[in-house]
Amino acid sequence: MVVETITDGGVLYGLLAVGAGLATGLAGIGAGVGEQGIGAAVVGVVAEEPGFLGKGLFLMLLPETLIIFGLAVSLILMFAWKPFA
Amino acid sequence: MLRPVEMSRVVVAGSNKVLEPLIEKLHELNLLHVVNYSGADDAFNMGKPLGTASGYAEQLIRLRSIERYLDISDKMPDKQFPESQVLSQMDGILGSVGDDVIATAERVAEIDNEVKIKQDQAKVLKPLAGLPLDLELLYGYNSLAAYVGTVASPVEADVSRISYVNEVFTASTGKTNAVAVFVPVEKAGEVSGVLAEHGFSEISVPRGPTGSIAGAISTLESDAKRLEGDKAPLQKNLKEIRAQHEDLILAIDEHLSIKSQKAESPLRFASTDNAFVIDGWLPTDQYETLKRELESAAGGRVQVETLDGSEADKLVETGEDIPTKLNNPGIVRPYELITRLFAIPEYKEFDPTLPIFIFFPLMFGLILGDVAYGLIILIMMFMLKRKFRTPGWQSLINIVIIASIWAIIFGFIFGEIFGPMGLWDYIFSGAHHAGILGTVADPHHVGTAFGEGFYGRLGRVGPEIGSFAGGVFPMYRLATASVLVLIGVSLFIGVVHTGIGSILGVKNELAYGEKRHAYFERLPVLLFQVFFGLGLLGLIVGGLSHPLVLLSALVVVISIIMMVKGPEGVMGATHIPFFVSNLISYLRLLAIGLASVGVAFAANQLAFYVLMPMLSGGEGKPLTTIAIVVGIVVLIVVHFINLLLGILSPFMHPLRLHYVEMFTKFYSAHGGGVEYSPFGRVRRFLRD
Repeated sequence: MVVETITDGGVLYGLLAVGAGLATGLAGIGAGVGEQGIGAAVVGVVAEEPGFLGKGLFLMLLPETLIIFGLAVSLILMFAWKPFA
Repeated sequence: MLRPVEMSRVVVAGSNKVLEPLIEKLHELNLLHVVNYSGADDAFNMGKPLGTASGYAEQLIRLRSIERYLDISDKMPDKQFPESQVLSQMDGILGSVGDDVIATAERVAEIDNEVKIKQDQAKVLKPLAGLPLDLELLYGYNSLAAYVGTVASPVEADVSRISYVNEVFTASTGKTNAVAVFVPVEKAGEVSGVLAEHGFSEISVPRGPTGSIAGAISTLESDAKRLEGDKAPLQKNLKEIRAQHEDLILAIDEHLSIKSQKAESPLRFASTDNAFVIDGWLPTDQYETLKRELESAAGGRVQVETLDGSEADKLVETGEDIPTKLNNPGIVRPYELITRLFAIPEYKEFDPTLPIFIFFPLMFGLILGDVAYGLIILIMMFMLKRKFRTPGWQSLINIVIIASIWAIIFGFIFGEIFGPMGLWDYIFSGAHHAGILGTVADPHHVGTAFGEGFYGRLGRVGPEIGSFAGGVFPMYRLATASVLVLIGVSLFIGVVHTGIGSILGVKNELAYGEKRHAYFERLPVLLFQVFFGLGLLGLIVGGLSHPLVLLSALVVVISIIMMVKGPEGVMGATHIPFFVSNLISYLRLLAIGLASVGVAFAANQLAFYVLMPMLSGGEGKPLTTIAIVVGIVVLIVVHFINLLLGILSPFMHPLRLHYVEMFTKFYSAHGGGVEYSPFGRVRRFLRD
């Protein structure tokens, strides 16, 4: 049974999907943790100096690329990589 | 367009006798960006304000306080007034109307204060309401100590134990137990200790009201109500004054501001006992106008000169900023808002507004890409445009209007009206999709997996339709092949976008005369990113041995060597991960879009293929009323939320792509510039 499923690729495709989900999800957590500190600091600065908004936004959005890395990995896992084909 | 307006440095010198007509003229022309005199030169002093300055300042202060009481703030004008009307009505507004406003507003504040005091007193007395004592009996004894407040448990027994002579009154209302304890002064210390054990918390009895406590409370409350009633007509009066005079008051404000700006302007000029010198910048093509107008205003007793390039450069080297006047055609101008939000470009830098105008709406459209969402946003923005008329809001709304048109265009390319595989198919290819209301032959085949549907696992873009390009339109974004195509498109946009940034960066550095920075810091980044992208393309098309891959690898290595040779040395090469991540970052164009398509898709599936058949008692049965109602409610709620997110994230993420990925290549490396703000004022409430 189990052997059949594995050769069928079913379980492995499932694991692939789990891996893809983890890649995006964990990257998202990472980006969030990174942004929380920056966000708090930027809000503080902007409260004192509204002209800083643009530059603050710039700094705030820097870690957001992290989640895109995770997503890129997920996309490769889900769509581009065909190990069992 | 990519460059700010060309500026010239001008010096205006003349006799103090012509200072006033000259100031009038300068203000009227609204051309000269005045450089404030720093006081560094011994031969010159700072000018003195004209004699009228303090008078205008006083009037302005009084007017501003009237504005504050009437709650008037700057707005777009509904009416305009000729100067003569402003002058004739100014005394009335500042005088009798102003007195009325200030007296009324102060009376309102007084009433507010009294009401608050009375309400506080009533609130304090509430717990004591049941005590059988008049208020004036609760305080004011010489030989007795009085304790009034609340306790947690009965205190009579303990108080009697300590002081044989005592008087204790109690009353319970709800959960609070009020007590009034009277004991001889000499027992006060001990009694207060006992009371503390019973959780006594003192209430300080307000001194004003008299009579029974319950009566006092109701008097206080009715007084407060009566005062509130008195306040209403006063506030109505203020509102009426405001409605009647709002625009006039703002016109007077404008008039006085202009007068006081003119009267105080000599503080910014250099002057001697008999003469003055005004320094400033203005657009080069306006120089002749300025010279002619000033000379005629001063009857020839003024000298207007422009400094030639090298003299101006010398001033810039000593720290004077050349003001930047952005120069964009009307349709591009709203996007200056995005530039300004980051920083005003320096005079010698490129103005990034034009590339933003090209790429920002494109990216917004690519991410949102839905005909219906785009239309809704477009209509909403046209409605808001009439409501929010300040320049900032107008720019923002115009930005979104242009962007939403792109969203509609991409909506057609992606085949999305409220998400994919829904209304689009119903409208444009009825053959498949009577199915939108659940009567399709095989509804289970729709949406059991992402990308699986009427068009097979690969969607329209794929072998099932025929050749790769054959079935591109409409390309359902959730289909696997579309995802792959969009990855490519996103990266391509990234290469072009950052490439433009890098080219501007090279030219910027050359404009500042920094050749080494231009060729060994900016140029290799351009080469690296372009050929990194090309290499990826070659890798996908032909594998590792594809000639494009080999060429790209070579150029990438060369660019890295150039970076190492650059001004930062080996440290220059440490930025490479940043450049790679710059490109990958453009995948968000695909990713954010997919997220919103996913939500829309899920909403449609949930409503049409799960909820509505379920509530109608199974597939294929005619829909019941409740099924239709529930289905529509679910659709509206989910699509509404998705639309809100669909305005926010397609706006924020392209913004980030500009600020982080593009601007870092060329912009603001030398610090922000100074905006051109000429001496003068655009009249808004005043009419000639």
